[in-house]
Order: sequence, then C-alpha cells, then structure tokens
Amino acid sequence: MKRILSMTAAAAMLATPALAVDIEVGYPYSHLFDVTYEKIMKDFKKAHPDINVKFRATYEDYEDGTNTILRESVSGNLPDITMQGLNRQAILVEKGIARSLEPFIAKEADFAKDGYHKAMLSLSTFDNKVYGLPFSVSLPVGYYNMDLIRKSGSDKLPTSWDEVVELCGKMRANGVKNPMFWGWNITGNWFVQALLWSQDTPIIKDGQANFDGKEGLVAFETMKKLFRGCNMKNLSWKDALASFSAGEIGMMFWSTSALGAIERAKGDFELKTKEFPGITGAPKGLPAGGNAALLVSASKDPKRLEAAWTFLKFITSGVGAAAVAETTGYMPPNKAANEIILADFYKRNPNKETAVRQLPLLRDWLAYPGDKGLAVTQVLYDGIEGIVVGDKDDMKALQEELTEEVTELLPRR
Amino acid sequence: MSAYRANAGYWFVAPAIILMIVILIVPVGIAAFLSFTDYALGNQGFEWIGLKNYENIVTRSSYNKMIWASVTYVLVVVPVSIGLGLGAALLINSVKRFGDVYKTIYFLPVMAALLAMAIVWEFSLHPSLGMVNKTLTSLCGSWVEGFFSWAWLPWADPANSWYAHGCKNGFPLWFGDKNYTMGTVAFIGIWQAFGFNMVLYLAGLTSVPRELYQAADMDGADTAWDRFRLVTWPMLGPTTVFVVTITTIRSFQVFDTVEAITDGGPSKSTYVMMYAIYEKGVQQNLMGVGSAITIAFLAFVLILTMGQRYLVERRVHYS
Amino acid sequence: MKHAVLILGALIVILPFYVMTSYSLKSPREIETNTGGFFGAQEPMVNEYCVKLGNPREACVETPFIFNYTQAFKKAPLLRYLLNGVIVTASIFFIQVLIALPCAYALSKLRFRGREFVFSMVLFCLLIPVHAIALPLYVMLGKAGLTNTYAALIIPWTISVFGIFLMRQFFMTVPDDLIDAARMDGMTEFGIIWKVMLPTAIPALLAFAIFSVVAHWNDYFWPRIVITGDRDLYTPPLGMREFKGDADGSIWGPMMATATIIVTPLIVAFLLAQKRFIEGITLTGMK
Repeated sequence: MKRILSMTAAAAMLATPALAVDIEVGYPYSHLFDVTYEKIMKDFKKAHPDINVKFRATYEDYEDGTNTILRESVSGNLPDITMQGLNRQAILVEKGIARSLEPFIAKEADFAKDGYHKAMLSLSTFDNKVYGLPFSVSLPVGYYNMDLIRKSGSDKLPTSWDEVVELCGKMRANGVKNPMFWGWNITGNWFVQALLWSQDTPIIKDGQANFDGKEGLVAFETMKKLFRGCNMKNLSWKDALASFSAGEIGMMFWSTSALGAIERAKGDFELKTKEFPGITGAPKGLPAGGNAALLVSASKDPKRLEAAWTFLKFITSGVGAAAVAETTGYMPPNKAANEIILADFYKRNPNKETAVRQLPLLRDWLAYPGDKGLAVTQVLYDGIEGIVVGDKDDMKALQEELTEEVTELLPRR
Repeated sequence: MSAYRANAGYWFVAPAIILMIVILIVPVGIAAFLSFTDYALGNQGFEWIGLKNYENIVTRSSYNKMIWASVTYVLVVVPVSIGLGLGAALLINSVKRFGDVYKTIYFLPVMAALLAMAIVWEFSLHPSLGMVNKTLTSLCGSWVEGFFSWAWLPWADPANSWYAHGCKNGFPLWFGDKNYTMGTVAFIGIWQAFGFNMVLYLAGLTSVPRELYQAADMDGADTAWDRFRLVTWPMLGPTTVFVVTITTIRSFQVFDTVEAITDGGPSKSTYVMMYAIYEKGVQQNLMGVGSAITIAFLAFVLILTMGQRYLVERRVHYS
Repeated sequence: MKHAVLILGALIVILPFYVMTSYSLKSPREIETNTGGFFGAQEPMVNEYCVKLGNPREACVETPFIFNYTQAFKKAPLLRYLLNGVIVTASIFFIQVLIALPCAYALSKLRFRGREFVFSMVLFCLLIPVHAIALPLYVMLGKAGLTNTYAALIIPWTISVFGIFLMRQFFMTVPDDLIDAARMDGMTEFGIIWKVMLPTAIPALLAFAIFSVVAHWNDYFWPRIVITGDRDLYTPPLGMREFKGDADGSIWGPMMATATIIVTPLIVAFLLAQKRFIEGITLTGMK
C-alpha cells in the first residue's frame, strides 16, 4: 500500500511541470557570439526546459563589459551571469562582485571528468578559489600570406623572432613594402605578456611589477629588433587586419580569434597559421585571451543560483563548449570537448588547430592589482608605442622608466 | 506694473533653474567632492586625499599634452568652421536655385550618426586601402602630381615636395603619424561643425531687415563687400556672439572622433581634455582622478569664455 | 562661379556619405579590400551566420545588398529602435521648449533682480560637458530606480541651456514696441510668450528643433550608459552596436546599412523643415 502511494506521489510530481526559473546573462561581442549562444540554446532548452534564460544588452568589448557590471553593481541591477575578459575577472573578484564557485564545485561528483582540467580552471582561480569557468579561449599565433612569403625565396615559416626579422629583410629586398605586423597594441598588453611568458615569467608577481629584470629587458629588446628590423608601420590594429586581408602584409602576429573574420574577408592568397615564434626555441608559455563566465548574481534564491550553475556548466562543457569552436575563432579550453567532440572539426580546419596545439602552454592573462590597474595597462601601451614610432631607443632606460611609473600606480605592499 | 512683470520673470525662470541645479549643478558638485578622494567605481568606500589628484595634473607630462591637444584643436577648428559656416550661408543666401540642395548637403555631416561617420573616415583614410590615399597614389605621375609638387614654379624643387615624397614612400598614415593625426581630427571636426554654424547664420541672416540694404545702397555702398561690411556683419552681431561661444565650447568638448578613432594617440597627440576625463573616469574607473580633470576643465573653460564674452559682447548691436 | 565653389565644397562634404551608402551595398570582401565601385559587384556571397547554425552552404547564399539590409532589420529590432528614437527626441524637444521659452523671454525682455545672475548660470551650464556628469547622474538615477527606462533617456536633457541661450539672443532682436502693444491690449506675460514671441522666432525655433532632434537622435554615449538590461529601449545608434566586433572584425555591411537607414528620417525631416523655414520667414514678413 505504502509503495503504491509513494509511486503515485512520484508520478504526480513528475507529471506537474516544475516551476520555471529565470536567469539573466550578459555577454560581449554581439555579432561574434550571438550565433554561438543561439546554437547552444537550442540544446539547452531541450535539456533544461524549466530554466528561462534572458540575454541582456550585449557588451561592446571586454572593457565595456567590466564597466557595465561595475555600474550595475552601484545601481543595483546586476545580471546572474556575466561573460568577462580573462584579465577582467580580477577586478570583479577584488571588489567582491563575483561569487566563488567552490560551493557548487564541491557538490559535483566528478568535475574533472567533464573536461575541466586544472590548467583551464587556473585561468579563473584567485586566492586558490575558482570564481569563473573559462568559456572561449584564444592564443597568439602567426598568420602567413604564403604568396608573399614565397617571394622571399622559400616557403619555410619562422619559428623564432630572429628568423622573422631575417624573413622581413628578404621580403623587403623582393619588393614587399610592408612585410610584418606585430600586435603590440592588442588590449591588455597581451603581447608583452606573451614575450614574458615565452620566458616563463609573469608580468606581475606578488602584486609587484616583474618586468624589471633580465627577462623584461629581453622582451623590450626583442620588440625593438622586430619593429626596426621589419620597418613596421604604426598602423592601428583595425587598419593592419584590413591590410593583411587585402594581401598587403606578409606576416601578421595576432590572436587566433580573428581567424574567422580574416578567412571570410581575405583576398586571393593562401593563408596559413603557425605557432607563435619563440625568443630562443619554442615559447615556454603563452597568455590566454578570451572570456570566462562569472556568477555575479545578487539573488539569494537557491533555485536561481542552481539554475545559473547549471547554465554555467552547460556552456563550458560538452556540446555547449564545442559550439564555441564551430562558430567562432576561439577554442573551448575544455579538454573533453577538444579531444572528443571536435577532433573531426579540427582536421577539416587545420588553421584553427594551430591554437589548439598550443593549449599546453596556456598561462594567465594577468591583470594589474588595485584601482589603477587599467592606468598601468595604458602606461605600458604608451611606452611600447614609443618604440614603434621611434621615440624610444634605449631599452634599458625605457625599462627603468616604465618600472618606476608602474610601481607608483600599483598598491603599496 | 513692473513688480508684476518681475514676478512673471521669476516664475518663468524657476523651472529652468530647478532643472539646471538638479541635473547639471548637483552632479558637478558631486564630481568636485570626488575630486578630492581616490574613489574608484565599484569600491565600497573611499579615502580623502586632498589635492593629490590636482598635483598630478600639474606635474605629469601626459596632462601637459592634454592641454596642448585641446588648445590646438580649438584654435584650428573655431575660426575655420565659423568662417566656412558664414561663407556657406552667404553664398547659399545669394544663389537663386539649388539653395535647398546645398543646404541639405552641407548639413548632412551634422545629421549623420557619429559612430558610422568615424568608421567611414577611418576607412577612407586607411594608409593604403583608403580612398584618399588610393586616389593620391593613382594620380602620381600625372599632371596632378606636377601641379601639387609646385613643378610649375621655376624656383621650386618638385622632387622634395610633400606630394612627390608621398608618391615615392607612400602617403602619410593619417591617424598613425603623430604629426598628422591632430590635423586629421581637426579636419573632421571642421567637416562636422561648419554645417551647424551655417544653419545658425542662415537663421540670423533672415532677421536682417531688407530696408537697411536699400538704405545702404542709397548711401553709396555698391559692392558686395561694402554691403557685407556695413549692414550684414553688424546685424549678424548677436548671431556671431552665439556662434563663437557655442563653437568654442563645443570644440573644447570634442570627444566622439577621438574616442572612435584615435584613443588619444598616437603618443597622446590627440589626448584632448574630454577624452582624458573619459579615459580616467569611465574606462579606468578612477572617478577621483576623472573628477579632478573635470573641475580643472571647467575652470579653464570658464575663464576663457568669460574673457571672450567680455571682449565680444561690448561691440555688439542689439536692435 | 559661386556654384563652382559650392559644388566643390559639396563633394568634399559628401564623401563619407558616398562611402557609407556604398558599403551598405557591398559584400564583406569588397569592403575589406575596397573594390567594386559604388554598387559593388553584387556577386552572391555566403551568409556565414547561417552556415554556423548548421545549415549547408548552398542554402546560405545571398546577394550582398539584400543581406545587408535584411540583417540590419533582423539582428536588432531596428523598427522598434526607430520608434524609440521618435518617442525620445519628440518628448525631449517638447519639454525643452516648455522650459526654455519662458526662461528666454524673461531673460531678454523682463527686468527683475538677479536676471544677470541667472543668465550667467545658463552660460556656466553650457560649459558642463555631459561626459563629466554622466556617472554621478547615472548613480542618482540608479538610486531613484529609473535606469533602463524612457525617463532615464529623457530627463537629463529636458534642460537645454543651448536652447535658452539661442532663443534669448533671438528674442533680443524683437522690437519692444511689439510687446508693449500686446501689453496694452491686455495680454498676460504668459500669453505674450506663446502668441507674440513664438511666431516671430520660428526660424530660430526651427534651428533649435533641428539641433535638439539631431543631437538626441544620434546620441550614443548616454543611452549606452543608462540602458544596460533591456534592448527594447535602445535608440537608433545603438542598433549599429550589434555589428561591432572590434578585434574579430565587425560586420561592416549591415552596420553601414543601419547607418544609412537611421540617417534617412533626419534628412527627410530636415527637407520638410526647410519648407516651413521659408514659410516661416514669409509669414512673419520681412522685418
């Protein structure tokens, strides 16, 4: 009797539709990721019909995303989930706006099984606690216009910066006016961090500027060598990408994320991508670009938080994560997704595979601590610009100048 | 009688005053307060740091560039855009046909969404793919090059002229070369502003009474320049006061072009004050610093405007 | 001769518009490499978005200019945004006139203590740039619970010191006799504003309208700060944002199509205002 009753009760519960929960999500780069989320939502709705996801007005870029969240935290209307640039997570964690995901992870049976390996989670780990789940990741790569490269006499692609400069010289001798563009002006000093991580050195250590030593000097000297040796023009990166697509530039070093746009817009030349060159030998590490999902909900409703967590997990693993590679130039940092679901996809798109091969080198895209973090980014940017336009020639002096200015802006220890 | 009118006066200005205070002055007050703190957006609290923000403004080199950039922009854009606006208004007023067409075309820059225009200008001025440089390059070797490199002047050295140099080494990076960027940004500013001034002058020209021209004719003023000097220009006095004030203020407030294209660069050559405020306050979330620049900006512009008004208002006719 | 000068000027002025409309007709490749003349070759292009959703390539081929314009309307509810533009700019202008005209009249024609002080206040407020007060204003609106509403889009602009200044200058050229005559006919001061001053100032009022409407129709900065949750409240320029992609390439075609679409109502309105402008002059008689 009891058994029949409990079974009826269970049947009744299954029959009544669970009350739908609403969550709100904000993400950047509308035209890039709209298609990704559209694809993901098709599967998500089938798997979780009881969760309604409302997407907010999209952020223009990562900086806009962070600033919007900061504004919304002051005016009291935060969303539940926000996708933030990897180097913008720190600010939200520092100000207590992002919530720790540890309680949710603790409840998971076997988190690593879903492909969440330690290197991936470390991108969103602060103070030994996980605050976000990386969603789309990019790495620096080299883009090569094979038609122009062949003008230099061979079609061997460079593996070190010295080889790049050599190639520049040969191309110039054969009539290529603009042989190279190097993405020094990409957001967040990403490429400076790339040169430092190539030597296994973080740009910030224990909250102090860490580019004042030997590795820092090597980084500056490398940049100077590249800019001067290749006679690199001071193009804005938008202009440079347009030039490369039009077939004017021979080699371009930039994030893999632009691959989609370039393949779409390029003229009639053969495009190949290859690993980011190293200083002496292959790089030891490279900073990850891209964005991660953070939980910023101000809600106290446990059902809502559960729903948010479910969404977070769904988009960063399995089919959800695979959608990232299929629809954009980014990769999901999820091991299972890359090795199992996408294996075939990468075979068909070898240019996209380059970044995946570099995944073992994934390192943090570091943010500068304290309120003046963004001002620090600008200081470094201005300094490097000085090298590009020829204002700064003495790298040691520049290194000292920048260290001093940055130290002043960082919080005192 | 006049007490009644004075009362009416108070009632009429009251709503405006209330709104001015709440919407404009209170936020400035808040900004003034924050300028003495180190508040950053999203923080729970802040510290009072006195004049430190202002100190930085006076000592750091990037702020010197800021003042230089703002002043240069204003000194170029104001006279040129007013001159062109006046010229266009006079020309259009005097042609019999197509006046409407010209008016609309010249006003188009004012009507277009700035974001789109900035992107278009960026494309057009791309160093190698943009229409401007492409056209200049395609004319290399033709009579146009000869003309612009002064080859037709006997004492000139055409091979060293700007145009010839461009043909050989590539035309300038309009936004990448710090020697050209400010000029380019000022050009875009003039392009946008003169249509605005033109419309204001057209409105002003309508209030110049016809009889005055007839009277001037009878007094012997027969050339167009005489008519302009004796009748038009003085009668445009109030309009000119307005145009000069507004154009100057708006030039100090230039922001959109810089934010969309140059980001204050290269080497901070276009780091105008409004952009500095935006960069510090909104982008870098340093509201204390941004507020200090705001107050400095207001003080600077206030002094300039008061000086200008004093000089100009004394010589103006009101009918 | 005059026409020659005007035409040369017109060509320079119109260059960006030529480019804008031209890009709104072209495919991505043509835009990035700057080829194709004005209309673009109109070769069928592949709609990448549609491919990424999983459809086969053959089903996703479209002609560029159709693609650009349909995307402009599909990606973002552009019609809704245009409607928002109309609602917001009309409300703003209406309230601005209500507040500015009496104030301008008082400042130009009435004597009362403190008149010069008020005018100085107006001039001072002219100097205040919106970017400087944007954040404090945003926080104030946030605390009042008004962010993400039409009110937030309209309220900060209801005070137009520009309008007050403009109308005051214009009112000062109106002869006092006209006003005295009206007073002797028994009109109240309030009546004078709307029945005597307003008709004489139609050209200036139209200039005010043009500036107000254009400025607020094209305003990108303030709506972006204040509308963060709900896309339905977006004004037209924010419609272009959907296509902006920065490092990974913006989709220029639909963006330019959007830009062309949102500037068109303004051009139409301007042309119509032109006619009233001339009528207004003849109505008030040649002064």
